[in-house]
Amino acid sequence: MHELSMADAIVKTVIEAAEKNEAIEVLEVTVELGQMTLLNPEQLKFMLEVLSEDTIVNGAKFNMEEVPIEIECFSCGFKGKADTDELDHYVPIINCPECEERNLNITAGRECNVKNIKIEKSDEDAQDS
Amino acid sequence: MHKIADIEIQHDIMLANRKLAKKNQKILDKANVFAVDFLGAIGSGKTSLIEKLIQEMDYPVAVIAGDVISKFDAGRFEQYNVPVIGLNTGKECHLDSHLVEHALHDLPLDEVDILFIENVGNLICPVDFDLGSHIRVVVISVSEGDDTVEKHPLIFKDADLVVINKVDIACAVGADEDKMVEDVKKINPDVQVIKTSLKENKGLSEIIESLEKFMAK
Repeated sequence: MHELSMADAIVKTVIEAAEKNEAIEVLEVTVELGQMTLLNPEQLKFMLEVLSEDTIVNGAKFNMEEVPIEIECFSCGFKGKADTDELDHYVPIINCPECEERNLNITAGRECNVKNIKIEKSDEDAQDS
Repeated sequence: MHKIADIEIQHDIMLANRKLAKKNQKILDKANVFAVDFLGAIGSGKTSLIEKLIQEMDYPVAVIAGDVISKFDAGRFEQYNVPVIGLNTGKECHLDSHLVEHALHDLPLDEVDILFIENVGNLICPVDFDLGSHIRVVVISVSEGDDTVEKHPLIFKDADLVVINKVDIACAVGADEDKMVEDVKKINPDVQVIKTSLKENKGLSEIIESLEKFMAK
């Protein structure tokens, strides 16, 4: 259930950015989610919708963008995307796709990044303030 | 007149936790405290292991006991007259660096050499949350089934030491402990895996030896 704490942090981040930019409504929120995180995008989305209620984020569309796992192989020096099977977290972490060695570092795929938001703002409000 | 605006945020929630974890490690390093994060399944023996380490290791120790309701484990540690902070995670399934940061401020770090952090029993959620510890020890037991490792590979990828506990009952529960060791090695080839029966103190000295090696690094 750590989707809840993630969702809470995301909503807080969005509210902060929306207020700073004098939004009157948040229309869209785009979140980048690393394949390596043990977060379920659908559960996260549900939590985001629930936590957004009664805030400026209420009703926003949440876009989840998956970030592929990238590795750096200590054996052959390969840098790039790992082979992944979305049903099997096992695959990406055992072998380098080039030399099949297991000694590697994960360089991408652990993110839970609030990338951007689309907001509606009032021109007049912005000028007045 | 209303207008639509795209606002770049680029705020990585995971990164925020990792940054805070680094801050925690700085606090620990400044006080010369070696911190160990114990992760593992519910009932695998994390609390028992920490209890035995408190008794057997010749260092002043402090403990952070993290649990949904932490008073039970915290009470067990308090018996040994060591500083203990219980962290209630409530509805959450893991500790995070923010919670640990608060606990660090409440502990007499200058008086201890080792800090044991017992994470919430869970093989999934704690993986994503560094706490700032120097090493991560993953404790599992044969009674969870010998397919536990292959079903939860990520927690083993980041482990610095793996303990497979309750090997004395492997036969009774129909588990092959050597298969569990092999599975860990497939995921994390260089990690040390220690088979233990903590009830009988089997494997305890190996764990202590391993922890001391990490401390000396």
